[in-house]
Amino acid sequence: MTQIVTKMVKNWLKWTMLVGILLSLTACNLQLSGLLDPKGVIAFEERKLFFDTLALMMIVVLPVIIMSFAFIYHYQVSHRTRDYKPNWSHSHFLESLWWGIPCIIIVVLAVITWKKTILLDPYRQIPGQTAAPMVIQAIALPWKWVFIYPEENIATVNYVEVPVGREVEYQITADNVAMSAFFIPQLGSQIYAMAGMRTRLHLIASVPGDFLGLNTQFNGDGFSDMTFMVHAVEPDQMQAWVTQVKQSAQPLTPEAYGQLLNPSIADQPKFYNGVAPDLFQQVLTLYMNTSGTVHPRDNQLKFHNSLN
Amino acid sequence: MLENLLFGKLTLDAIPFHTPIIMGAAVFMGLVIAISLGLITYYRKWHYLWTEWLTTVDHKKIGVMYLLLSGVMLLRGFSDAILMRSQQALAAGTHTGYLPPEHYNQIFTAHGVIMIFFVAMPMMFALLNMAIPLQIGARDVAYPYLNSLSFWLTFVGAMLCNVSLVIGDFAAVGWLAYPPLSELYYSPSVGVDYYIWSLQIAGVGTLLGGINFIATIMKMRCPGMTLMRMPVFVWSTLCAMILVALSFPILTVALGLLELDRFFGMHFFTEFAGGNVMLYVNLIWAWGHPEVYILILPAFGVFSEVVATFSQKKLFGYTTMVYALAIITFLSFIVWLHHFFTMGAGADVNAFFGITTMIIAIPTGVKVFNWLFTMYKGRIILSTPMLWVTAFFTTFVIGGMTGVMMAVPPVDFQVHNSLFLVAHFHNVIIGGVLFGYFAGVIFWFPKAFGFKLDEKWGRRAFIWWVVGFYLAFMPLYVLGLSGVMRRTQHYDNLSYQPYFIVAALGAVCILFGIMSQIIQVYVSFRDRKALRDITGDPWNAGTLEWSMASPAPLYNFAVLPTVTGLDQFWIDKENQLTTGRVNPQNIDYQPIHMPRNTGAGFIIAIFAGVMGFGLVWHMLIPGLIGFVGMILTGIIKTFNTDTDYYIDAETVKRTELAHFMEVAACTTK
Repeated sequence: MTQIVTKMVKNWLKWTMLVGILLSLTACNLQLSGLLDPKGVIAFEERKLFFDTLALMMIVVLPVIIMSFAFIYHYQVSHRTRDYKPNWSHSHFLESLWWGIPCIIIVVLAVITWKKTILLDPYRQIPGQTAAPMVIQAIALPWKWVFIYPEENIATVNYVEVPVGREVEYQITADNVAMSAFFIPQLGSQIYAMAGMRTRLHLIASVPGDFLGLNTQFNGDGFSDMTFMVHAVEPDQMQAWVTQVKQSAQPLTPEAYGQLLNPSIADQPKFYNGVAPDLFQQVLTLYMNTSGTVHPRDNQLKFHNSLN
Repeated sequence: MLENLLFGKLTLDAIPFHTPIIMGAAVFMGLVIAISLGLITYYRKWHYLWTEWLTTVDHKKIGVMYLLLSGVMLLRGFSDAILMRSQQALAAGTHTGYLPPEHYNQIFTAHGVIMIFFVAMPMMFALLNMAIPLQIGARDVAYPYLNSLSFWLTFVGAMLCNVSLVIGDFAAVGWLAYPPLSELYYSPSVGVDYYIWSLQIAGVGTLLGGINFIATIMKMRCPGMTLMRMPVFVWSTLCAMILVALSFPILTVALGLLELDRFFGMHFFTEFAGGNVMLYVNLIWAWGHPEVYILILPAFGVFSEVVATFSQKKLFGYTTMVYALAIITFLSFIVWLHHFFTMGAGADVNAFFGITTMIIAIPTGVKVFNWLFTMYKGRIILSTPMLWVTAFFTTFVIGGMTGVMMAVPPVDFQVHNSLFLVAHFHNVIIGGVLFGYFAGVIFWFPKAFGFKLDEKWGRRAFIWWVVGFYLAFMPLYVLGLSGVMRRTQHYDNLSYQPYFIVAALGAVCILFGIMSQIIQVYVSFRDRKALRDITGDPWNAGTLEWSMASPAPLYNFAVLPTVTGLDQFWIDKENQLTTGRVNPQNIDYQPIHMPRNTGAGFIIAIFAGVMGFGLVWHMLIPGLIGFVGMILTGIIKTFNTDTDYYIDAETVKRTELAHFMEVAACTTK
């Protein structure tokens, strides 16, 4: 009985490994994205930092892995090694070695961390940029994103168009949806979106292309579909796009915005020409100034039953 | 009115009759419970169950019950894992899998909650109860009745969480229930209330357990056992329990305030009316980060015992091990912000917390090197406890490495909340905590049950677990780096799917690992005569718990030992060049003072469960009955003065003699 089971188990193990390896091979054509395929200055820096840290850590990690296997293999009881020292349990030299070397590595890493954290602070203007950044205001809604271009006086849903090579400052908040997070992996850092609060993020797209943007913070049923498309184009094309939106689209009236406050999943991009100039600020102050026990959007809709 | 006070929001609609998976699980659970109750009645074991288990204050039995609870909940938590892995393997492109978001979201929440609170924590307390009093030469913990209460509160918390599967729903908000998602506006159902009350009840149990073990270690050590002669497992427990005592009140307060928001419409963590979401996130991680170390420190303790024992060598660098533990304990309280670098704190704040986080890598690295050099020039016996250690080294340092990488705030900006993070913490929690606990359970199993666990099935379980772990989590690193987020219910990019399929296969391998472990327990029980641990020292170890019979007698130590150095039993064995035992005929035993069993812990916990269930559903009368019942039982218990008894010297001598003869018979053979 046990033999049959053993055989079955062994067969299973073999097949699983085989299938696993085959699948890993087919998976090699993964369309690289995110940190592995950066398209913006910030993401480039972050990828470099990622691999620098990895390399530094390897100084300790590799010896540990090698030593663990070597010691376990070499000192097995069946090998009857001659140098068995059951009571040898202390060495000033060795112990100071492995307090010391990690300390040095961490000091190096700490200096790098301090510098890079300040350099890559999402609130900070990206160094070397002379022109003022273009502002895009992003509001997380149940389960979609609204983007307002205050200077151009247009707005979009689940779609961002940015000029290549120009710094963009995203101002981010949330409205009628739980804490979310704004992230365009190929361009760089993510940051939370919270109602009544404004977070900021500076990014540059270095090359033209289509990049996926997403929400990284779980915020309810529509979480997995809360994505948007980022379209990075040359500045003159960007201008053409703005003109096109201005010619064709409806304004983002309070009624239209009220519609967007309704929970919905996987919305197609929408475009609006004309936005109340202080809409973003209004959304912020609404949460900051509401008192009492009723959620500021409660009279607008009941959050949960509205989907059905 | 009365109906409302009695039943609150609870109606028959709360039971999801139309969901086959849940009803199937419910019917299965119901059958298992009915069959076990039926068997207990058939074999007339109710009296035995009540006197020997439900009312016991013996730390060894409480340890066994913790182990059982943890094992059962592991099956539940792992079923959730299988569901998640299969959903993600299927739900690519236009397919949305078989679990709709409202169900899937409950599953990943339950998976996290169960694995941390009702698998890892009980398994930790199982090890503590099985080993700590024995290692410090004590006859029980400092407060045996409190120990029983702690266990039953944990048990009831776990059961409340299980009830949510059938009656109502569980939280669908992630395992830490960040507001405002967990506030009434976004989560109006009872799910979050189940979450809050099961954690509150279990959390109080944990806190009391923590205090109990601090008192035990500080006050109950045998003569001569100074702090620097304590085994490292005791040290690691002391550090972990200090963390419990300091951090669990934060959890209680944070969840309490959240419940006030939900029950009374207050505004601690709402996004309007002056509530502050970020306050909750800070509070929950001020508990949550130390919690991670509460889990890993005892595992470090286990590794220290196991590596030394199975290398047949003294632990390398005892003093630095202790200092490393103390430093980790201290640092674990000043790193919590690294869980939310992306919340918009300034660069200086982020950099500070990033650097404090990295510093933890230094003492942790020191510990790893000390374990490595404990093996160096040793005689390594690759029994199953040691096998888990061999897998631990590689797995844990990979997890530690990715942890340090994420401590760099700009790197975290890329991988935060992604599957990279998921892979990282499973890397340290499975590779560190779970492998360590498995090693510990196998290591101390003979001391608790009197026989060793089967090696063959133990090895199989080990291979399946390790292979399964790497298949399941290495693909997640790649996916995380390409920007796939945790808690994703489905995804559009088809090129992710092969990775998810490999991960799902890994989960299946782990399933075989768990099945092997169940078979291992069965086979070991069947062959318990052959696997009997006669000497009480099956591994040739050095600490006090191995100086007595297996299973340990009720009173642990017939004569309290006197300790003259580290690893006293090792010293004894070296000095006497024998097994280090004296013939009980020549010893003058004294009567031994023992605590009497009490049902109070069990009853209080049941009332706590009634209160929790009542408050979840806003059933005020049952809630009140539970609350008053809890307090009253506690008060009535204080009037019971018959709380102790003596085991007479004759019984002790007889027990010790029986063990001595058994060993003698075995050695002459």
